[in-house]
Amino acid sequence: MALFREQNTLITDQPVLSNPALRYIMYAVIILLTSVIHVLFMGFITVGSVAPDLLLIVCIWIALVEGQMTGLLIAFGAGLLFDIVSADVLGTNALAKVLSVFIAGYFYNENMSRHMLGTYRFLFIVLFCSFIHNLVYFFFYIKPTDINFFSFFIRYGIATTLYTTVIAIVPMLVMARKSEY
Amino acid sequence: MQRILDFVIRFKEYLTLSLLIVVSFLLMSLGNAAELRGFRTVVVGGIGVAQGLFSWIPNPVALKSENQALRNLNYSLSREVARTRKAMIENDRLRAMLEMKKQAAGSMIVADVVGRISAEMRGYVTLNKGLEQGVLDGMSVQTDHGLVGHVLSASDNYALVQLILNRDTRIAVKVERTRIDGIIVWEGGEHLLLKNVAKTQDVQAGDMIVTSGFSSLFPSGVYVGRVNDVRDEPNSLFRRITITPTVSFSTLEQVFVSTQKPSPEMESLLHVVDKKLQNKQ
Repeated sequence: MALFREQNTLITDQPVLSNPALRYIMYAVIILLTSVIHVLFMGFITVGSVAPDLLLIVCIWIALVEGQMTGLLIAFGAGLLFDIVSADVLGTNALAKVLSVFIAGYFYNENMSRHMLGTYRFLFIVLFCSFIHNLVYFFFYIKPTDINFFSFFIRYGIATTLYTTVIAIVPMLVMARKSEY
Repeated sequence: MQRILDFVIRFKEYLTLSLLIVVSFLLMSLGNAAELRGFRTVVVGGIGVAQGLFSWIPNPVALKSENQALRNLNYSLSREVARTRKAMIENDRLRAMLEMKKQAAGSMIVADVVGRISAEMRGYVTLNKGLEQGVLDGMSVQTDHGLVGHVLSASDNYALVQLILNRDTRIAVKVERTRIDGIIVWEGGEHLLLKNVAKTQDVQAGDMIVTSGFSSLFPSGVYVGRVNDVRDEPNSLFRRITITPTVSFSTLEQVFVSTQKPSPEMESLLHVVDKKLQNKQ
């Protein structure tokens, strides 16, 4: 039993796929799927025009598992993809995600990252990174308008940050349950 | 060269970040460039098709908010309808009042009913106009529909009006169609009684009753009511005629006070005759 637990711990400490190329393909597929889910089904969980940023959670997740460099590239790609599918100004989401994931990358620890995903620390990282993401995103989002940034950010930026953090509880619990076995 | 390579490897994250930020800004400056529009159209079209495929799934949140929005809309529309109806009624009323003011011989003082008293079969209303506005005791009060009563007492800014639905009411009237004279009295309820009309005289239901020139209190020709019912009472020479007042006293809001005062000479003469008759009895 002890050996079994040890083996599982070893497995969870390592990335699921040992082949880097396959891993990146898997991440790309996850990003694509998340984008599709975001576009098609986000309306079901949108509360008062506030929706969680699923792509950001995935990007932070990848940055914590793979490190800053991989996270940066994936965040840029994911942001660009989201800009296209959401008909946003091209580069806005890419920039916001790159910056927030760069910060998330500082929490990367080769030996502890996968453990961290199942703890409250993951939620705090999502909260902080989402805050930075929304700060950057909403700054560029309302720049061409006359809307007051502060009031708009308080209303939508903070709400989106909190909602994203709440949704991040789901992967956190999944990982926490996984690490129990 | 090696040093540059070492620098790049050492700071690859920062360099990548800088590069990606620059690319992002470049893309942002591109905005909705014409080259991207076609591509975006295809993407948006594809998303639209995909969303259409899943549109059959009910969205409880959207349904709830739509319901809420519809309820709010329904509420505001209902209020608007009520406001419009009220405005229409008020418009009709004011139009009728303006018409009535044009037709009136003497000048009129418009007053609002600010109070209502009903005690011991006596009906009174308080008006917000008094001596300072020219309202004096004995002046008749009417609306565009007909006679209301007369001013019983007036203070500087208020006046107490005795309604015709009052135990003390005695009004000399005429049947408008046949010019038959009679006296209006009130014996309780919503109707008035037309007295002193002989069984031989022509009075029918629906006839309009107006004040006659014999009244010292009220000007002649003002509508008082409509004949509601005509009955021949046994053992009596007179008919029992019930009159429905033309004025709705329960919804009285604005009235006109006629500044035409009863003639003091006529009043004193009547007073003297009345005293003489009492002495004889």
